[in-house]
Amino acid sequence: MSGLDHEIVELLPRLRRLARALARNAADADDLAQVTVERALAHRGQWRPGTRFDSWIFRIMKNAWIDETRARRRRGAILAPAEEGERVGDAGAAAAEDRLVVGEVERAMSRLPDDQRLAVALVLIEGLSYREAAAVLQVPEGTLTSRLVRGRSALLADLEEAAP
Amino acid sequence: MTPSPETVAAYVDGELSPEARVAFEAQMASDPALAAEVARQRALANRLAAAYDPVLTQPVPLALALAAQAANDRRGPQIGARGWAAMAACLAVGAAVGLAVRPAEGPLASRHGALIAQGGLSAALTTQLASDAGPVRVGLTFRTAEGGYCRTFEMAADRLAGVACRDGGRWTARAVSAWTPPAASAYRTAGAETPPAVLAAVDSLIAGEALDARAERAARDSGWKP
Repeated sequence: MSGLDHEIVELLPRLRRLARALARNAADADDLAQVTVERALAHRGQWRPGTRFDSWIFRIMKNAWIDETRARRRRGAILAPAEEGERVGDAGAAAAEDRLVVGEVERAMSRLPDDQRLAVALVLIEGLSYREAAAVLQVPEGTLTSRLVRGRSALLADLEEAAP
Repeated sequence: MTPSPETVAAYVDGELSPEARVAFEAQMASDPALAAEVARQRALANRLAAAYDPVLTQPVPLALALAAQAANDRRGPQIGARGWAAMAACLAVGAAVGLAVRPAEGPLASRHGALIAQGGLSAALTTQLASDAGPVRVGLTFRTAEGGYCRTFEMAADRLAGVACRDGGRWTARAVSAWTPPAASAYRTAGAETPPAVLAAVDSLIAGEALDARAERAARDSGWKP
């Protein structure tokens, strides 16, 4: 087994955790992890030895997730001008999805804007340093920290409101 | 001056320089509101960890494990990751197994689009009877409509259960699934705690009844000739 393949296998549990933090439910999370692994293998030549492998594959997951959420939104935008009934259907689907999300923490995470959710997932859940997380997201560190602060306070507001 | 939210976050995340940390802690000692805010941020981090860390110890779904090691198997034909995933989906819909599928390491190796038992699993399927104890427990032995033999197995250490059929001198897995060993009991019966995905595969493969102990021994002694 080459080093790269070994690293992917070793990283699977962390990839699944990050996917769970980003995706709306467990099934979507495993799809996201699967797509990430497939893309990483397809583009294995682009990883430069000596750089962090986990950051590289996390970036692939970030891009895959953004592609998917954008595609979802495009589909939503195409459906939006249709009859009112469509929107009712969308609301119903959203509510059904919400019920699939188990636990208050997951629900609060799913309500965060994408950029804040990424920052929180990488730093608070994956334990990356600010520098590493900023590199994964390809943004300046200051941008990362402000997203992190906003994400944190939104989560706290959500979770403390939910608390009795 | 009250530290900015960015500074509080950086402190909680271990991102402050040693000097800044000392200064922050001094301020925290004399500012109960700041200390409370730090505690609040730490509690959030703990809640996130409690929600997501359990994923780390869950079994990795078979499709994902196969996708991750697909490129390793250079002896086999070039099958894209999608192909492996599709194969995995056929093997065990919705089943999750640990990292059992690793060449030269795990009990199963993917070869030419099939999962082949190797090592201790292969040996146990070939030689063990259902009554034998060991790292692999063999459960049901039965015949397919084509006359070939299949056997169910459980591996406590790998947390894996499955059914494999004799095929060209090897055992080819037809279904594998995550499996948690039940609490030790003197009264357990073969197949009683077999995962649904494996039972479904048995149902789709079996022709007639499962072999009794005498027929199982005879089949083994004949070298699993159909």
